[in-house]
Amino acid sequence: MTIQEVRVTNLPQVNDPGGDGLLHTIKTFLAIPSVSRIATARVYRFEGITAADAALLAQNLLAESIFQRYTVNQPIIENAAKLVEVAYKPGVMNPEASSIMKAAADLGISNLLAADSSTEYGFFGAVTDAEMAVIISRLLVNETVERVVTEKPATLLISGSPAATRIIPIRAMDDDVLMAISKDSLFLNLTEMRTIKEYFTALDRDPTDCEVETLAQTWSEHCGHKTFCAQLIVDGRPKEPLLKRLQDATAQAAHPLVLSAFVDNSGVMALYDGLAICGKVETHNSPSAIEPYGGAMTGSGGVFRDIMGTGKGARVIASTDIFCFGPPDMPAAEVPEGCLHPRYLLQRVVAGVRDYGNRMGIPTNNGSLHFHRDFRAKPTIIVGAYGLIPVKDAQKGRPQKGDIAVVVGGRTGRDGIHGATFSSGEMTHRTMDVNASAVQIGHAIEEKRMSDALLQARDEELIRAVTDCGAGGFASAFGEMGADSGVKIHLDLAPVKYPGLAPWEIWLSESQERMALAVAPEHLDRLLAICRSYNVEATAVGEFTGTGRLEVLYRQDPVCTLEMEFLHHGLPKRIMFATGKQREEQEFEPGPPADWGRTCAAVMGHLNVCSKEVIARVYDHGVQGSNVLPPFGGLTGSAPNDAVVLAPAPGKQYGLVIAHGLNPALNQIDPYAGSIWAATEAVSNAAATGADPADLVLIDNFIWPYPDEESLYDLDQAVDACRDFVQATGMPFISGKDSLSSTYRSRDGAVIKIPPVLCVSCFGRLPDVTATISADIKGPGSTLVLVGKRDISHMGGSAYFDLTGACSPQVPQVDLKALPAVLKAIHLGCQQGAILACHDVSEGGLLTALAEMCFGGAAGAEITIPEGHRADYFLFNETTGCFLAEVTSEAAAGELFAGVPHLVLGTADSSRMITIRQGGAKLFQIDTATLFEAWRKPMGEVFGA
Amino acid sequence: MKPLVCILRTDGTNCDLETYAAFAKAGAKCEMVHVNQLRSGAQKLSDYQILAIPGGFSYGDDIHSGKILSVELTSFLKEQLNSFVSAGKPVIGICNGFQVLVRTGLLPRGELGVISATLMHNDSGHFECRWVDLLVEKTNCLFTRGLEERVLQYQVAHGEGKFYTSQETLAAIENNSQVVFRYADPATVQPTMAYPLNPNGSLQAIAGVCDNTGLVLGLMPHPERFMEPYHHPNWRRTGFTEPHGLPLFRNAVEYAAKSL
Repeated sequence: MTIQEVRVTNLPQVNDPGGDGLLHTIKTFLAIPSVSRIATARVYRFEGITAADAALLAQNLLAESIFQRYTVNQPIIENAAKLVEVAYKPGVMNPEASSIMKAAADLGISNLLAADSSTEYGFFGAVTDAEMAVIISRLLVNETVERVVTEKPATLLISGSPAATRIIPIRAMDDDVLMAISKDSLFLNLTEMRTIKEYFTALDRDPTDCEVETLAQTWSEHCGHKTFCAQLIVDGRPKEPLLKRLQDATAQAAHPLVLSAFVDNSGVMALYDGLAICGKVETHNSPSAIEPYGGAMTGSGGVFRDIMGTGKGARVIASTDIFCFGPPDMPAAEVPEGCLHPRYLLQRVVAGVRDYGNRMGIPTNNGSLHFHRDFRAKPTIIVGAYGLIPVKDAQKGRPQKGDIAVVVGGRTGRDGIHGATFSSGEMTHRTMDVNASAVQIGHAIEEKRMSDALLQARDEELIRAVTDCGAGGFASAFGEMGADSGVKIHLDLAPVKYPGLAPWEIWLSESQERMALAVAPEHLDRLLAICRSYNVEATAVGEFTGTGRLEVLYRQDPVCTLEMEFLHHGLPKRIMFATGKQREEQEFEPGPPADWGRTCAAVMGHLNVCSKEVIARVYDHGVQGSNVLPPFGGLTGSAPNDAVVLAPAPGKQYGLVIAHGLNPALNQIDPYAGSIWAATEAVSNAAATGADPADLVLIDNFIWPYPDEESLYDLDQAVDACRDFVQATGMPFISGKDSLSSTYRSRDGAVIKIPPVLCVSCFGRLPDVTATISADIKGPGSTLVLVGKRDISHMGGSAYFDLTGACSPQVPQVDLKALPAVLKAIHLGCQQGAILACHDVSEGGLLTALAEMCFGGAAGAEITIPEGHRADYFLFNETTGCFLAEVTSEAAAGELFAGVPHLVLGTADSSRMITIRQGGAKLFQIDTATLFEAWRKPMGEVFGA
Repeated sequence: MKPLVCILRTDGTNCDLETYAAFAKAGAKCEMVHVNQLRSGAQKLSDYQILAIPGGFSYGDDIHSGKILSVELTSFLKEQLNSFVSAGKPVIGICNGFQVLVRTGLLPRGELGVISATLMHNDSGHFECRWVDLLVEKTNCLFTRGLEERVLQYQVAHGEGKFYTSQETLAAIENNSQVVFRYADPATVQPTMAYPLNPNGSLQAIAGVCDNTGLVLGLMPHPERFMEPYHHPNWRRTGFTEPHGLPLFRNAVEYAAKSL
C-alpha cells in the first residue's frame, strides 16, 4: 500500500533549537568546524490513507502555520550539502505513533493503518563524507535502536507468524553442549545446567524452549541473587551469606517505624496520619551501556513500577538519579571497543531520565554524578524512586485460589528479551551486537495512565496482589506471584504489539509499562472498566490454581509445565570462595600548594566536585507541588543543598527527607572504609537538613565487578561495613539490590574491572518540614563551626590527591562511635533554630563546603586553621560524617556541641571573599566568584550552558 | 455555596493533584474529570463553574505540546467549551494547559479551532525547571485582580514555553492589554529577554496571556506550586505574608461564588 509522507520544518525566520544544539555539539565535542548550519525536519509516514488525507493531517495536526511549513510527498530541506534521516529500527516501538493514530481518528480519518515519525537533518557547509560518518555514528544514530533511512519503506506494518515451540534435547547433551547453549543467552553455569538436565531426565521428557528460558531467568543472578545467597568461604573461613548478614542486621535493629523490609518491591516505613513512605533503588547499567537513552528511560520506568507494585500499590512521589561515567573529555581512542563514549552516555542518560520522569510527573530532585577513568567500559546508572501509600495497603498481597491473573498496561513485544540474563553477564566487545534486543524506548505516558488507573483500583479495594513486570517479564511476575498457589496462564490472550511472537518470547518479553495483578473474580469487571476509563488496556490471562504448578499454555498447547518447588527452590546453592589480595601500598604525598588560588579553583572544578546544576535544571524537580528544599537554592538558585525535603500531602507540614552517598574511588582503594563512607555520607546529607537520625532508614545498591575471588572478597568487606554501620547507628537497610556484572572483557582477553560501587540511599520522615534548614549562609556575623571527628591525615582517594598526582592506600576513616552523637547534635541544633545553615563535608573537603555555602548567601568568610595541621589537608580532607554549621553565636555553638568533637573556625561576612588564616597570619584569600566559575565550568561545557 | 471546579485530566496530565489542592485551598470544591467522561457524556462541563487544565505532558506532548488534547477538545467538545466561555465562567490553563488553550484557539483570540499563536521549544533547546520573577501587567484579567504591577515568583518547568505569534496578533494582544505576565529582571523590575531570567526566549517576555474578556488565562509558570510559604526555594531567607499562588486561585473562586 502507498505510504504518504509529510515533512514539517520551521519557517526560515524562526530558529531551530534542535539544529543549533546539534551544531554546538559537533563543533565542541567532535571538533568538526566545516558544518556551518543544521536544519531539522520531522518526517511523518502514513499507510492506508490518501495524499489528501495526509495534507489534512499536516494542516490540522502536524504543522502549525505560525512558525512551520510542510510538504506532502516532497522534500522539504533544500540545498543542504548532506541530508540524513534517522528513524527507529522496525520493531522498536515509536511512542509517538499511537498518539498520531489517536489524533487522526479524532480528526475523522478512519482508514489509517499505521503511522511512524522520524527526524531529518540537513547539513550545510563543506562537510566531507568522512566527517558525516563520524557525526552519524557518534551523535545521530545508535545502531541498537536507530537506523539511517535510505529509501521510502514499502510498508509500516510488521508481520510474521510465530515460531513453534521447540523441544530442547537436553537429556542427550554432554557438558560441552550444555555450556554452548548457556553462553550468550542463558548465562547459567555447568552445575545449574546439569541440574536442569537431571530434572527432566527424572521426568522422562525433554524441556521446551519456554521451560529452559523460564528456569534460566528465575535462576539468573539478576533475579536469583545467587552470589548474595551463596555460602561463602572467605580466606578459608566460612561466613554467613551476604544477604543473610544484611537481613539479620536489620532484624536486630528492630526499628519501630519499619513496616516491611526486603520482602516487597520496595521497603516501607511509617509516615504520619495513617500513611507510609516506601523506597526502592535500582540499577540499569547493562542496557544503558549500549543504548543510554532507552536504558535510562526503562531504568526509571522499572523503579517507578517497583513503587507502583508495592503493597496494594503506592503513588510515586520522588525520583533520584546517581550516575558514574568515564571522564567526558576522554579521547575517543581510549574508549574500549564495543563501548560508547562517556560524554555521549552522560548526555543521553540525562535525557532519558529527564524524559521519563518529567512526562510521568515524578520530581527528580536528588542525585549525583561521579567520574573515574575505569567507568569507560561500562557506566553505573542508579535510579531511585519513593512512594506514598496508606498503611492499610502497605503489605504485599497474596493471590488466592480462583483469583484471576490480569495483565495491565502496555502490549508485549520482542523487547528486552534476555534482559535478566543479559544483566547477569559480563560486558564484552560483542555485547553491542549480540544483545541488541535487550533495550527498548520507554513510554512514560503509558505508565502514567496505568498508575492513575491502578491507584483508583486500589482505593476501591479491587486489588488482591500486584507486582510489576520487570526483568523476566510475565515469567518473573506470575512465577513469583503464583509461587505459593500455582498459576495457569494462556499466552495467546496477552495483547501483543505485532504478530509473530513465539510463545517463549511472549512469556519472557521485558516490554515495559506492564503490571501483573491478582483480582478476585467478583472484582474483575469493575477493574477492567476502570482501566478502560483511563485508556489503559487490561486483560485477564489466567488464574491462580492452587496446584503448586506453573502452567503456561498457547492456544491450549502446554508450553511450560514446572513445579513451583523446583523453579524457586531447585537452584543449587552455590559455595563461593573469596580471597583477599595484596593491595597497592604505594604512597606519595604532594608538596604544599604553590598557588592557593589555582589549587582551590582546581579542586572545585574537579569532576567529582563541580556543580551539577545544569543537570538538575532539566529535571522537573517541582512537579507535585511538594518541594520544600530544592536541589539547588540560595539567593541565585545555584547553591547545592544536601538532600531533598518533601511535603507530599498538600497542606500538611509533615514530610520526608531523601539523600544518598557513594564514593567509587574510595571503594576501589578500601572496600570496607569506602562502604562506611558511603553510608555515613548518605545519613549525613539527610542530617544536614535537620532530620532526626532515629527516623532514617537505608537502601543498599552493590554494583560490583563479576564476583571472582578477589572481587568477592571486596564485596564481603562492603557487606560487613553495612552490617557494622547498622549496628553502630540503629538505622536499618530495608531494601537493596546487587548487580555483579561490572566487568569488561575485550577481544584480546584484557579485563577492565569497573570500580566497585556501594550506593547507600537514605530516607526518613520529618514531623515538621518547617524545622528543616538549607545550606546557604544566612549571616553576616554568624559563627562557622566544624562539627564531627575528622581523620585529616588520611587523604587517599580525595579529589586533591587525584589532582596533584598523589596517592595513598590510607583513606579517611569514619569514627562510628562518635557519629551518632554528632548526628543528634546537628538535629537538635536545627530543631532549636540555633543552626542557620549546614552543609556536610564530602568530596572537595572543607573548602568546597564553605565555598558552596557562601555561593548561596552571597557571603564571604574568614576562618582560621589550627596550628600543627597541613593547611591543604585541613581544607581538602574528605572525612564524611562532619559538618560545617553556621550558628547564631560562638556561645550557642559551645552549648550545642558540648560533648561532640567540634571546632569554631571563624565567622561569615558579606565580603564575597574567603580568607584563610593560620598561625596568626593570612594564608591566602580568594574571591568566591572565581571559585564559582571554576565550579560551574565542567558540566556547563558538556551541556552547552 | 462553594463553586465547583473541573480539573480536566487525560493521559499524561501530571499537575492535577496540586491544581486540585490549590483550588481547594482557595475555597472551591474540585472534581477530577477525565476527558473521556466529557466525551462519553458521563460528565458535562456545564455542571462546573470553573475549568482548570493542569500541567503535564498530555499524550506525551507528541507532535507539539498539548496538540493531541487540543485536537480532541476541538473535535468533540467545541460546543461545550464555547458555551462554558460564553457563560462567563473562568478558565485557567497552566503550562501544558496553556499550550492546550493556545492550540485550541481559545487563547489569545477566543476562536475555537483557529490557532493564532504558539508555544515553541525553548530557545535554549532544553527543558528548564527554575523559579522566575514575573511582572503582573495591568489588565482586565480576573485571576490577577489586586496583583497588578507586583512582581510574583513562580516556578517554570517546561521545554516548550516560548510564546510566539505573528506581528499582527502580537500588536493586537498588546493593544488589548491581554499580556498578563512577563518574565522580569528582579534588579530592574523590567521585562527581560535575558536567559535564564526569561527561560525560553518568549516574544516580549510573555509568560501568560488572557482572552479579551479577562476570564480565560493561560500561563507557563506554575502558581499551584506556591501555595504554602515553604514552597518557595528561599523561604528560609525571606518571609512571605502570603504564598504568591494563592490569590490567583482565590480571585477565580470568589468571582465564581459571587457571580455564577
